[in-house]
Formats: sequence, structure tokens, C-alpha cells
Amino acid sequence: MEEIFDKAEKPKWSQSREVLHRLSKRITAMIGLVIVLIFLISAIFAPFLALHDPLEHSLGHMLAKPSWDYPLGRDELGRCILSRVIYGARISLLIGTMVISIGVLLGAPLGIISAYYGGKVDFIIQRFVDTMLAFPGILLALTLIAMLGVGLANVMIAVGISTIPIYARLARSSVLAIKSRQFVEASRSIGASNFKIILRHLLPNSLSPIIVQSTLHMATAILWAAGLGFLGLGINPPTPEWGAMLNGGRLYIRVAYHVATFPGLMIFITVLGFNLLGDGLRDALDPRLKT
Amino acid sequence: MKKFQNGRFLLFSVLLLFGFFCFTMASVESSWAQAQKKPAEAKPKPKPPAVPQKLIIAQGTDALTMDAHHVIDSPTASIMEHMVEPLLELTPQGEIVPKLAEKWEVSADATEFTIKIKKGIKFHDGEPLNAEAVKVNFDRRLDPKAATKFGFLVAQVASVAVVDEYTVKFKTKAPFAPMVSNLTHSTNGIQSPAALKKSWEKPVPQPVGTGPFIFKEWVPGNKLVMVRNDAYWGKKPTLTELTFRVIPDDASRVVALETGEVHAAVRIPPFDIPRLKANRKLTVVETPSVRTIYMGFNVLKEPFTDKRVRQALNYAVNKTAIVKHILGGVGRVSDAPISPGVFGYSPTMSYEYNVEKAKALLAEAGFPKGFETTLHPAVGRYYMDASVATAVAADLLKVGIKAEIKMMDWATYLPFILRDKEAVEHKLYVLGWGTVTGDADYGLFSLFHSGEWPKKGMAASFYKNEKADQLLEGGRKTANPEQRKKLYKEAMEIIMDDAPWLFLHSEVQITGVNAKVKGLVVHPTERIISKGASIE
Amino acid sequence: MTGQYIIRRLLIMLPVLLGVSLIIFIMVRIIPGDPSMVMAGPHATKDQVEQIRTQLGLDRHPVSQYFIFIGNLFRGDLGTSTRTSLPVTKEIMARLPNTLLLALASILIATVLGVLTGIIAGVKQNSKFDYLSMLVALFGLSMPVFWLGLMLMLLFSIHLGWLPAVGAESFKHLILPAITLGANSMAIIARMTRSSMLEVIRLDYIRTARAKGLKEKLVISRHALKNALIPVVTVIGLQTGTLLGGAVLTEIVFAWPGVGRLLVEAILARDYPVVQGVVLLVATMFIFVNLVVDILYAYLDPRIRYQ
Repeated sequence: MEEIFDKAEKPKWSQSREVLHRLSKRITAMIGLVIVLIFLISAIFAPFLALHDPLEHSLGHMLAKPSWDYPLGRDELGRCILSRVIYGARISLLIGTMVISIGVLLGAPLGIISAYYGGKVDFIIQRFVDTMLAFPGILLALTLIAMLGVGLANVMIAVGISTIPIYARLARSSVLAIKSRQFVEASRSIGASNFKIILRHLLPNSLSPIIVQSTLHMATAILWAAGLGFLGLGINPPTPEWGAMLNGGRLYIRVAYHVATFPGLMIFITVLGFNLLGDGLRDALDPRLKT
Repeated sequence: MKKFQNGRFLLFSVLLLFGFFCFTMASVESSWAQAQKKPAEAKPKPKPPAVPQKLIIAQGTDALTMDAHHVIDSPTASIMEHMVEPLLELTPQGEIVPKLAEKWEVSADATEFTIKIKKGIKFHDGEPLNAEAVKVNFDRRLDPKAATKFGFLVAQVASVAVVDEYTVKFKTKAPFAPMVSNLTHSTNGIQSPAALKKSWEKPVPQPVGTGPFIFKEWVPGNKLVMVRNDAYWGKKPTLTELTFRVIPDDASRVVALETGEVHAAVRIPPFDIPRLKANRKLTVVETPSVRTIYMGFNVLKEPFTDKRVRQALNYAVNKTAIVKHILGGVGRVSDAPISPGVFGYSPTMSYEYNVEKAKALLAEAGFPKGFETTLHPAVGRYYMDASVATAVAADLLKVGIKAEIKMMDWATYLPFILRDKEAVEHKLYVLGWGTVTGDADYGLFSLFHSGEWPKKGMAASFYKNEKADQLLEGGRKTANPEQRKKLYKEAMEIIMDDAPWLFLHSEVQITGVNAKVKGLVVHPTERIISKGASIE
Repeated sequence: MTGQYIIRRLLIMLPVLLGVSLIIFIMVRIIPGDPSMVMAGPHATKDQVEQIRTQLGLDRHPVSQYFIFIGNLFRGDLGTSTRTSLPVTKEIMARLPNTLLLALASILIATVLGVLTGIIAGVKQNSKFDYLSMLVALFGLSMPVFWLGLMLMLLFSIHLGWLPAVGAESFKHLILPAITLGANSMAIIARMTRSSMLEVIRLDYIRTARAKGLKEKLVISRHALKNALIPVVTVIGLQTGTLLGGAVLTEIVFAWPGVGRLLVEAILARDYPVVQGVVLLVATMFIFVNLVVDILYAYLDPRIRYQ
């Protein structure tokens, strides 16, 4: 009990310093951090890192195997895969952050409010969430994209919106689980306002599953964009988006493995990075999980 | 506890290896090629004395209707033509021959078409085929309430009359020479009048025709099965059963062909050809299609109002490279707005790849540095269409034209392209047109005659040239084939020079067939015909 | 209490379903594109398109279209497909059993393997097993369904020749699509179980139980598991829905004749009645699944009252 009250009383800055300190002690988290940093660097400095113009095509050299000048080979239109993969980091970063922002910023508050206030508020919000959830998985995104039209921005909006109910549900269930714990009751009994309780106790404590989910969604966002592309509702060519590259290279997988494999590996490594970092962050954020 | 964990550890090591394999197995592609030569075919069944004559064909889409008069797409037409037959037939060589008809006659002014019907043919339900039955079919085709498809094929028909028991006479409102070709079309298939009368305004629930196969079962989204018509009027098929299966994904369709789960698969991606050809268990059939792929200009929109700009774009795109590389050499650079195998086709001209000439023409037209525009391609309809559009845009970039690609799905695309000239937004669009009646009228009139502008018709380039209009009309007014050919040749010369399109290529259909299957025919009109097929 | 609760939840379904029907009705009509044009075919003229529009009733006012739709719904009539002219119920019923079978098999694989892995990984945090299994889970998460499906097909159908590649003819045909569809959910469930396990193991009462000298296995199975599974149950519930959606891609790759594929085809062809019918059906199924999840919830965590 004391330990929990201690945490709540601590000033913010020392808490975040502690988190960073704990984070730095975890090897896996550091690996994740390094991967994410590389990802961010290639996203930001893409024009300086790329060897060639990612859009420059040369049909005569299509599907060329990796070589000195083209370290990852060339794609189905003879474009440099390495350069496209580097530029692709930009697009993926954009997709991931936008999708998660839309999902978390709109979803989590809904879930917390719903669980905390309960009653009519909960009922109405939950019916809304139920209604959205009734379009499972990619289907809502699919319908939305058919409505909005193909394109990068629309893919982000469609996928983002369809993750809202997931965050709302997740936040609600974790708040429900801790709502009746002593420390919340205690705060309430000493006269803390609803807003303060939500901000101080419910939000931080519902954060851990949301962090887990967001790290996963970084991947899901990229994959859904690719899935929409598979259905012919993705991102416009010639945008070097990893999912689109994977999808485009899929046709050639039995002729030229590198076209699909490298973007696929990029997705995997990036997902790995975000997950390791996310897991580390969660462990660091929550002292109760300290080993 | 420790033991327990170790066991699990092992299991998951295996799983990990497998996961890793999935990601890297592509790199062992060369070893697959070897595995190809001796594929482990799972065929545990004991071999029966005679090979079962049950053919399975895989297509990308399911049948959309069971009524021949309502067919709008070639995969459905492929299925239907095994059960429902038209009066006349367009052979793969492009000749028109009698089918249910015995013979036909056309009046000199191309307004009267007299058709004698073969005697003794019965529909699958036992009804006799006679002039009355044919009339019932065309009455339904012409009845607006029945709302059958491809109405323009019969739109010129003024009356259908029964002359005697086996003779019908079509009269057209105006001279309409293409009528003969139009009678070969799948939607003009002859179905049992009894079945039609039961379901006049709605599509019939199952096809009742005169064809070599009889409808057995349709499992929507999965397969359609038909059995041999033992009372068929022509040469009886060897096959006892014919199944069309739906396998939407291109890569999966190829796999199903390789594993032997299907005997034939349509629309094989060009890059699988070399591998399939190396597989002795398979053959690859390449059939030129009457489908022409083009990028249309909206000639009402700046700067495509200028003929020099349109010609410049034609010079700027390397069509040969697109065919050679993106289509794997399986295709043909267009030298006319229609493709070989269509009546009225003649090699007209093609714009060679010449960046300098393109730049010069652009400069002459006042765009020395190029310009920005948008390109709306149809995607997911034609061979490698997204890659083709991307390559076109990349080529245009080399002469300074920035064309932003904006994809749309088909259902959005058509209404977007086919709007009134005041409302329409597109500047560049990519479409394909299959001249499925095998007559130039079908391929040229609908796309270049100024009377066919959207919303009425499909001429989304909004092209108008009075001379070309006259020539195209002329082609309808005479029944003389030589005369017609001359008119179309002249019209195509004007069109090629005016360049309302960027002329790309005509497609070649790639069909993978199990080597055991003989006698399967792929028709240039994108239909697969298995009535003469057998399995060894 | 429980009985009343269930009845109340069933009653709640009605407004949700009405909401769903209204949303989907509005959405499909906001979508640009014209079913009558798709139906008339690429070579049709304006008059023919107009005629089909009238035939489909699309020229009527949208509000009256909606009431006609709802009215027919109560008579069990979902309308007629604009694409195939078949009754929507027939279209759906031809495919529904296939999708249910696929989803069920997938969620079974995902739950059993996912929960098991998650528990062990959580209990043995930082062990070799933990790292390896979470790495495998990440593979499961980072592979697009259409990619994984093709890989499995190439391995098991072409390379090894053990399993058929496409179709839904026998049990053997089910294996590859079910694994493909379940892989992602399995990974999510494994990760969720693990992190939830980690959280619970460190709670006071588990420490107490351990301090009391209870056997580790007993602590885990008797005390930790039940609490750790609460969030996992939510995730499984959510995954069931995701599976019905994810089935779209899997069904296309394996030519599995299910409702997911039907829905995509219908959306792409603007086949309004089919889209409405399938979404309503899937929604109904999904809400039932959630009801079951909530009941399980309350069973697992008595602190959550039937509110």
C-alpha cells in the first residue's frame, strides 16, 4: 500500500528520470531503442541516405539481383530497392504514428470515461463502441477506404478510425479492473476530483495495455495498409511504401525473392524494434513489474 | 518442471525455424525448380481402368449470372457458352460460321438478315429449337422490362419475324452490317422459351440451352459443375463432367495448377511462364486477345486539346519495353486502335519511342519543360495494369510531365470516367477494350464516334472528327466486306494521327494447362472452350 | 441475476443492430460508385443503366429505401443481390458455414497455442523459451496474411505436397487457411497472456501464496491464471471478430468460399443488399461472442458486477 501512495505523491520529473534509468538497464529494450532510432534516422534523412532516386525506373533492369551499386537489387520496374526501403521508412512512420494517434487519442478517453462513470454514459459509449466493433478487423477500414477513396491519407484515416473501438475497449477493461482497487477508493475518499482521479490513477494504470497494443499496432497499421493494397484499395503507386512493395513483389516471389523479402524484413525488424522498446517501456513504467 | 519446459522449448525452436523458413525460403527458389521436376503429387487413389473424364478449370471470378442474356463478363461467358449457344459462331480464327443456324443471308443494303435454323435440335428441357423459340429469345432481348445486358448489340433491330418453322428474319431500323457479328455474342445465346417465359423479367435461375453440357450445380463463390449432354446435336464431348472453380488470387491459381488440383488455369501472371514451361506436367497456351489496352486523353482538357501534345506523349512512352519487360514479352505493341483477329483490322502505324521527338513536339506546343497532370488508371482489371500505369508515368517524367497516379476501384472508376463532358474530371485514363464480336464496328464506333460520348456511350476521350465519324457510319451501311475494310482502314489512319489515345498494347491470354489435357481451346474473345477436350 | 443479465444483454443487441444497419446503409450509399453501372457492364449505354437503377429501386428516396430494407428484414428477407440477382440469404447461406468453420478452427488454434505459450513465457520470464516464443510471436505479427498464406501454400502444397492448396472440399483443405488466419491472433494472444501473467504474478496475493510455501505450479494454476486470463478473454473476444474480418484475405488466398470474400466482392461491386446483409449477420455473431466474453469475465473476476 505504502509503495503505491509513494508513487502517486512523487513529482513527475523524478518519475520519468527513474523510468529512463530503468529502461537503460534492459538490454532488449536498448536493442529496440537502437532499431527504432535507426528507423527514425532513415525516415528523416532518407534523401541523404538513399543511393538512387526511389522513383527512377529502368525496365531493362527489372528484378536485377543484388549488386554493388544496388545492394538490395532492383524491383519489378527496375527501381533501387534499398533506396525505396529507406524512403519507405518515412511512409511507414507516418502511417504508424497517424493510425495510433487517431486510435489512442479518440479511443482511450472513450474507454476510460465509459468505465469510470459507468451507468448511462457507459451504456451509450459501449453501444457506440459495439456498433463500430461489429465491423470486425479490416472490414471497417475496407468500407471506409471504399468511401474515402484510395490513397495514403485515406488509408491512414480508415485504419486509424477502425482501431478506435479496440483502444476504447482495452482502456475500459483495464480501468474496470483497477477502479475498485484501494488506491482509487482512497483518493476518492480524500476528495479528489473525477478528473484528477482519471488523470492521476486511471490513465497511468491503463497505460500499460495501451502501450502493448500500440506497439503492436505500429505493425498492424503497416500490415493493414498492405492488406488493403492486396485488395486493390491501398496506396497509389509509385509511393515506396513497404506493404505496397511487399505486395508488388509477392507476384515475383518465385522468380526474384529479393523484391518482396527485403521490404518484408524491414517490416519485421521495425515491428521487432517497436515491440522490444514497448515491452521495455512498459516494464520500466510500472515498478510493480520490476524483476 | 524443467523437463516440461525443455519439451516446449524444442517445440518452439521448431516453430521458430519454420517462421524463419517462411521468410527466407524464397531464397531457395532455385531448389524449387529442381523439386518441380519431380513434384510429390498426392494421388493415393488406385488408378481406375479408364481415366475419368472430369475436367476442372480455374478462373479468377465466379459466374455472375445463370442467364445467358444477362452475361456482362468473359469468365461468365466462358461458362455459359458450354450450355447455351448462339445462332452464329465466331471461330478462334475470326471467321463467322453457323452454329444453331444452318445458314444466313444479308440483304444488299444490310437491313434484312434471314436465318435458317438447324432442324432436330432440342433444348436441355426437351423443348424443340425452332423459329418461334428464336423469336421468343430476341423478343426478350428487345423488351426493356427484361433489362437484358449488352442491349446495344440488338438496339438496331426493328423486328424479328417467323418466316416458317425454321426460318427467322431480322429487320434493322437502319443499315447495320455488324448485325451478323453481333449474333455471335454470348448475350445473344438461345435459351429454352419455356424457361424464359417462367422468368421473363428476372434472370433465369439456371441455364437451359442447347449446348454440349447441362447445368448440374452452382455453389456460389466456389464452383459450377455441368455434365455432358448425351443428346447433344453436334459432336458429343468426351468429357463427362466439367467444373469451373473460382480461385481469385493469381499466385494461388498457379499453385493449384502445379499441384494438379485443377487441370487448367486462366490468366497466369507473365512471370510464371518460364517456370511453368519448364514443368513437363504442364503446357502454357498463349492466345492473342482482342483486348486493346490504351491510355486515353480527355481531348477537351488542356493541354490535351493540342494534337502535338498527344503525339508527344505517344512518342515519350517506351511501349516495346513495357511489353517486353512488364508483360514478359507476352503482348503486342498496338499498331491500330483494334487488334489483329478483329474484322477490319489492318496495321496502321505506331509511334516509336523517341524522347527527343517528344520533347520537340512539347516545346512546339509551348511546354518545353513539360507540365503537371493526373493519371487515373483502372487497376486490377488487366494484366499487370498497376505496373503498366506506373511505367507510363515514369516515362512521362523523363520528358518533364509529372503525372500523379490516382487509383480507384472499378465500381468508382467507371462512373468517374463516364460523366457528361461538363462534369468529367479525368485527363488521362487507362482502359482496355475487348472487341468481343470480332468486328471493327464494336471496337471503333463505340470509342471514337462523336455520338458515343458519355454519358450515352463509352467514348471517354471526347474525340470528334467529322471525317472519322462519316467513315465509321459508312462501315455500318454496307454489307460488302471489302468496302467495309477500306472504310475502317481510312478511319483508323485518321484516328492514329489525331492520337486521342496513347496507344499501348493488345493483350495475350496466358492459360496454364495440364499436359494430360488435350483439345482445350482458348478463344481470342477471352473464353475457354472445352467441348472438344479430353483427359489422357 | 445471470439469467436477467443475459436477457438484458440480448435486448441491448437490438439498438446496436439497428445502429449497425443504419450506419452500413448510410456508408454504402456515401461510397462513390454506382451499382447499376457495375451491373450494366462496361459496354452499357446510359438508358440501360437508368433502367437497371429503376429496377433496383435505387431511384427511390434513400429514406424510403431504408424503411423498405428494415421492413423486409423483419420478414427474414434481406433483399436480392444486385450483382447476381440471387436472394441475399441464399448467397450468404451458401458461404456462411465455410467461414464459421474456418474462424472456429483458427480461434481454437490461436487460443490453445497462444495461451499456453503466453503462460509459460510469463512464468519463465527472461528464459530462453520466453525470448524464443516471443520472437516467434513477432513473426506471426509481422507477416501479412496474404504473404504467410502464400508461403505456407508453397511449402506444404508445392514443396512437400502434403496438403491441397485451394478450395474447401475436405478437412485437409481447412488446415492451411486455419493456420494462416490464426497466426496473427495466436501471436497477439500469446503476448497478451504473457504480459498479463507478468503483472499478476507480482501482485500481493501471489507473493503471499508463494510466501505461504505453496507449490509454484499450484500458485500459477490456482491463483495467478484466473486473474491473468481476464484481459486475455477480452483479447480473444476481440480476436474472434478480427478473425471474421481477417478471413477476407485468407479466403481470397486459399479460394475459400466464405462470407468474407463475398463481402469484399460486394463492396467492390457496390452490391448494397449483400453488404448490408453480411455486415448485419457478422455484427449479430460478434455481439453474441461479446456476450459470452462478458459472462466469462464476470465468472473470472467476481469483482466485476453485472452492471
